[in-house]
Amino acid sequence: MIKNQSIVSQEQGNIVSDMDGEKVMLSIHNGKYYNLGEMGGEIWEQIKDPTTTEDLIAFLMKHYEVKQDECWDQVLSFLNLLLDERLIKIEDGAAS
Amino acid sequence: MIDTIQKNVYKAFGLSISSDFPLPELPQLNTDEELTDIGIHYADLLNMWSKLSEKNKYLVVKKDFVLFHVPDTAIFLIQKGNKVFVSPINGSKEAQIRLYILGTCMGALLMQRQILPLHGSALLIDGKAYAVVGDSGAGKSTLASAFLSRGYQLLSDDVIPVTVNENNIPIVTPAYPQQKLWIESLDKFGIDSKPLRPIIDRETKFAVPVPEQFATEPVPLAGVFELNKTNDYEIEIYPIKNLERLHTLFNHTYRNFLINRSGLMEWHFSTTAEIVNKIDLYKIKRPVSHFTAHELVNLILTKIGKGEKVR
Repeated sequence: MIKNQSIVSQEQGNIVSDMDGEKVMLSIHNGKYYNLGEMGGEIWEQIKDPTTTEDLIAFLMKHYEVKQDECWDQVLSFLNLLLDERLIKIEDGAAS
Repeated sequence: MIDTIQKNVYKAFGLSISSDFPLPELPQLNTDEELTDIGIHYADLLNMWSKLSEKNKYLVVKKDFVLFHVPDTAIFLIQKGNKVFVSPINGSKEAQIRLYILGTCMGALLMQRQILPLHGSALLIDGKAYAVVGDSGAGKSTLASAFLSRGYQLLSDDVIPVTVNENNIPIVTPAYPQQKLWIESLDKFGIDSKPLRPIIDRETKFAVPVPEQFATEPVPLAGVFELNKTNDYEIEIYPIKNLERLHTLFNHTYRNFLINRSGLMEWHFSTTAEIVNKIDLYKIKRPVSHFTAHELVNLILTKIGKGEKVR
């Protein structure tokens, strides 16, 4: 489960490509296709290296017009979906 | 008095091919054998096969390397996108070996050259290529034949080579001028099967040469139609959307079980993601209750804007 203090990063073994301006992904592990969409693709780019969710939210708030509460809600639920599909991982941070 | 061994040089899939095996299905070329894109050679692969093969496996795949064994026929090796080696097994028939050379070997070879081989029939309609894909028995070749009977040209009737050009446009290169049709379809089209050569081991499927109705130049791919059989009575057609488009192109990539093991997943995924933006994809359900090929031609022509009336 990803929380506001988590450090997240991309899991290896996923292939990413563009389709109609949206980020689509293929997991080598499970052979499934995913459409991350435009915003999801942006988030995916931002967590190439281990990133705290706080930094990620700060980045998105700076570049997109979105309320802080809403941003937290949507980003955390999106990241948890990616985690369930094992597309991202949580780093062992200081919090654990 | 030295007899020079006359190698056969052919053209297929946009490539020149020199071959130790006669390939009468293919048009001949007058190119020097040394200058061809692909060489098909006799070889003894028994040792290699016994070293590399595992029990109960018929296939060894690595990067730029596909080795497979067809019992009672031959061992085949496809390497680096330009060499095919064939090791016939005693008593095998040349026609049987040719089926694999022109089928699985060419499919593997195209993939090694990073040319996407789609499995189906491709037709030339108003300067653009339209592919008909579907499972075995879905009616791909029969539908292609219905298009030919309307005067349209064939680009391929089995393996469709697709590349993406420098302007990011998907391009279909003509394969070779032959159709494969079941006897039932020949009857429906009023084609006499007596002078035709049955495809070996499938006495009711015939090779039909179509040199006059074969397209010779590469053209942009504009659409893919996936044929499915249904027990309903109505023909149905609907667009394939979103990620389903990637699944469709993966499912109908010729010999797609080679992709991952050849280390070509990334290439295949990025290529198909690029292609789906440029083409229309449709799923067609055709009733098995009656012969629908001519109706399907009308439907497809309407969908691609050919059959629509001008105001």
